[in-house]
Amino acid sequence: MKKHNQITEEHTAHGVRNPGRCKKWFLLIIVIVLAGVLCICGCWWGQKDSKDKWSLVYIPKTQDGTNDFWTSLISGAHMAAREYEVSLDIMAPEREQDVEKQNELLTQAIEEKPDAILISPSSFTASNELLEEAKKKGISITFVDSYTEENIQDLTVATDNLEVGRKLGKYVRQMMEPDTQIAVVSHVKGVSTAVERELGFREGLGDLSENIVEVMYCNSQYDKSYDLTMDLMEKYPNLQVIAGMNEYSSVGAARAVKDCGAENWIQVVGVDSSQEAVELMEQGVFRALVVQKAFKMGYVGVRETVRMLNGEAVDKDIDSGSELVTLENMYTSENEKLLFPFNSIRQE
Amino acid sequence: MTKGNDYGRVLGKVKSIQNAIFAAVSILVLSAVLIVTAVSMKYTRSSIFENSVVYTRTIIHQMNQNIDSYIDYMDNIASMLAESEDAQQYLFSEMEGGNARYRLHTEAESKEIRDRLLSQYTAILKGRDDIKNLGILRIGGNYLINEGTQHLNPNLDIRTQEWYQKAMECQEESGLTSSHVQHAIEGERPWVITLSRRIPNTLEHKGGNDGAFFIDLNYSAISELCDQNSIGEKGYVFILDEEGNVVYHPQQQQLYNELQTENIETVMNADSDTVLTDDGDNGKLYTLSRSERTGWTVVGCTNVAELMKRSKQAQSIYLLTTIVLVVVSLMLSSAIAKNITLPIQRLRDSMARVQEGDFEAADVEVVSENEIGSLTTSFNVMTHRIQELMEQNIYEQEEKRKSELKALQSQINPHFLYNTLDSIIWMAEGKKNEEVVLMTASLARLLRQSISNEDEVVSVGQEVEYARSYLTIQKMRYKDKLEFRIEVAPEISSVHIIKLVLQPIIENAIYHGLKYKESKGLLIIRGYAKENNAVLEIIDNGVGMSKETLDHIFEKHKVNYHSNGVGVYNVQKRLQLYYGNDYGIIYQSEKGKGTVATIHIPIPGKQEDGNEEA
Repeated sequence: MKKHNQITEEHTAHGVRNPGRCKKWFLLIIVIVLAGVLCICGCWWGQKDSKDKWSLVYIPKTQDGTNDFWTSLISGAHMAAREYEVSLDIMAPEREQDVEKQNELLTQAIEEKPDAILISPSSFTASNELLEEAKKKGISITFVDSYTEENIQDLTVATDNLEVGRKLGKYVRQMMEPDTQIAVVSHVKGVSTAVERELGFREGLGDLSENIVEVMYCNSQYDKSYDLTMDLMEKYPNLQVIAGMNEYSSVGAARAVKDCGAENWIQVVGVDSSQEAVELMEQGVFRALVVQKAFKMGYVGVRETVRMLNGEAVDKDIDSGSELVTLENMYTSENEKLLFPFNSIRQE
Repeated sequence: MTKGNDYGRVLGKVKSIQNAIFAAVSILVLSAVLIVTAVSMKYTRSSIFENSVVYTRTIIHQMNQNIDSYIDYMDNIASMLAESEDAQQYLFSEMEGGNARYRLHTEAESKEIRDRLLSQYTAILKGRDDIKNLGILRIGGNYLINEGTQHLNPNLDIRTQEWYQKAMECQEESGLTSSHVQHAIEGERPWVITLSRRIPNTLEHKGGNDGAFFIDLNYSAISELCDQNSIGEKGYVFILDEEGNVVYHPQQQQLYNELQTENIETVMNADSDTVLTDDGDNGKLYTLSRSERTGWTVVGCTNVAELMKRSKQAQSIYLLTTIVLVVVSLMLSSAIAKNITLPIQRLRDSMARVQEGDFEAADVEVVSENEIGSLTTSFNVMTHRIQELMEQNIYEQEEKRKSELKALQSQINPHFLYNTLDSIIWMAEGKKNEEVVLMTASLARLLRQSISNEDEVVSVGQEVEYARSYLTIQKMRYKDKLEFRIEVAPEISSVHIIKLVLQPIIENAIYHGLKYKESKGLLIIRGYAKENNAVLEIIDNGVGMSKETLDHIFEKHKVNYHSNGVGVYNVQKRLQLYYGNDYGIIYQSEKGKGTVATIHIPIPGKQEDGNEEA
């Protein structure tokens, strides 16, 4: 009896112990395999970074094939959008001075609820309410080129327009006599760019800023600038310098001077360049142009907006820079890069 | 199986050969695998790096050759067009020599030459998208550009242009001007690469300046050449000229607009054909190939992080393989260890059973013919021998016990027989017929039971009847000296007991207790069941025993000496031989008062449970 009992117990004990050991091994193997899988997963996970596709809308002042400034700016914006893989809609009025149309487009853009609106406001005041509404809807606002009276933007990318004016003023200052008469053809009264450039221009002229006989506004139209310049030349026969404050005003003024054959005694200086402006410079009508970096402005505007949306730290105020170009230095490599858009590759 | 034993076994497992083999094999395999992995991990990095450097170098070199042959091809076109007779005629047939003006051809002839040139140019322009402009010109003289509809920029002094200067410097070959803006043509200012050639005047009438041929290349062909081979996802190829100006860059527009930077200085100052910039994660690997033909440098730029990513992928594959290998090797080594030690374990388990006394299941199956196999065979043989010996031993012990038992129980006191027979004779002489009958009958019963009954074991009932017969005889012999009573519970009368247990004790009680008592003595036999035992008490109120006597009551010689053999020792010995040491007789006695002898024997039916509990 006794013996029998012992045998049974022994068998039972072995029966229990064996699965126990197996279990332990299984656990170990599972742990190792899991660790391995985790390891690999971690490797793959690290390589994968999910990137939301932001939707951006840019509302320039105008999209005008004859205006190299806006064309360049918009192509810069497009390139940045392509590079950072965001969608970018351009909604542009046909004419630069069309504030109503721009507000209409802004309303439309707000309805689309993009992640950010980039805008070059045509008016210093007229878009405030709309921009505030956009802000309330959680849309980020980036000012490109110009801004409004209210500090509503998240980001500003623009040329330092005071500096633009200052450069132009200094250049004019070094070639003028104490009694030289200067006329300014500006673009739109009250717009930030116009105000600042004029202010800078006066600063650059220094004590001779009083020589400015008149400031006119062409509302960003070549024809109006042309007519205004004709009037000015008639009104002030001793006029020696005409300064344009943007592409429309500069080129309009230069055309008028050229048509009158007055380029030998009237020096035209201006802001922004275009194919026509370059030719006018080669012809000796333009003495100097302060060129904004439009492509860079558009590109940086989009790039920084995207970075801001991604939550990266960005500068709130970005100066895209400007250069003074004269006939003497226009063929240097640096200025060629600035004056002539490089778009020979991949014309998509 | 107790708990302590269990722990011992678990401890034994840890120290077992199986685990030792397993540990040894595992450590061996693990360290081998780990070392191999570590080494390959270490070398993967450098070898992948090495490989991609070599690969990129090959590609860049190839691209450089392609670009050279492209430029050569364009140069051929240029020389063909520049050296054509028509070009000569077109440029130099109308010359101002001193004051005079020569005209070699008529208006119609000139137009014919122009048309021929134009059709040639148009055909080339149509055939090749990568040619932006081509044309011939002579400062102050004729020019012909593209389809003849475009004009030279009237406001530009062409002599200031680099490509023109280069053409004039060269004699027989073409000058190559890297990326620049072509200002010479009115209306547009494209970025181009220009091949230009001097066209010397070979016509009879010398004088005036030389002409120039130029061909403007846009970037479509070069970008195609540079982008045809990818060098990694983020890799790209760009071209620099001798001064470090960018000829071509996939992000030329961004570079020109200060939106991108390239480490041109690093590349230009490089001594070897690979440069590694170390910017942490943004490190870049530049692979250079300088061309003798163009003087340009083709540069391949690869992202170091990307290379590292590839090596990381390779490393994670290694890691995965290692893990799989480790798991497999662990399982294998476990299996091997188990395989080797399983026969040993079986042997051990079997030995443990043998140790416990179980020979039935001791045989171990011989699996293999190795050392353990022969060990097992020997063990089996040994076990069988031991089993045989054990069985023999048990048999002999049994036999011995039986014979001993027989020897013990066969010792019936002959004096009792003589005395009884004497008593019968005296009674017969005294004509006490009835008494004679009773005594003789009792004696006859007594003898029948003790001699004729061959069985070793009788029932308690039979044993009590035997005692009664004996007491009856003794009572008659000791007449007024002895009275007896038997109180045995009927439930134990069927319990088995070895025979001749009661009689020697009763005899002892009479001869050593009651015989010496002055008055009449009483002897009681009481039987009852207590717990699992049957208890028989022989109680007398005789003289009792001193402590000393009581202590020596079971000693053989003493008892033998007094009672001629069959004595208490004998009974005690037999009881313990038969039932085990837990059973037997217990004596209690008090001098002058009497003695109680208590016999315990087991009741077989209940015995088992009792043992289980014990």
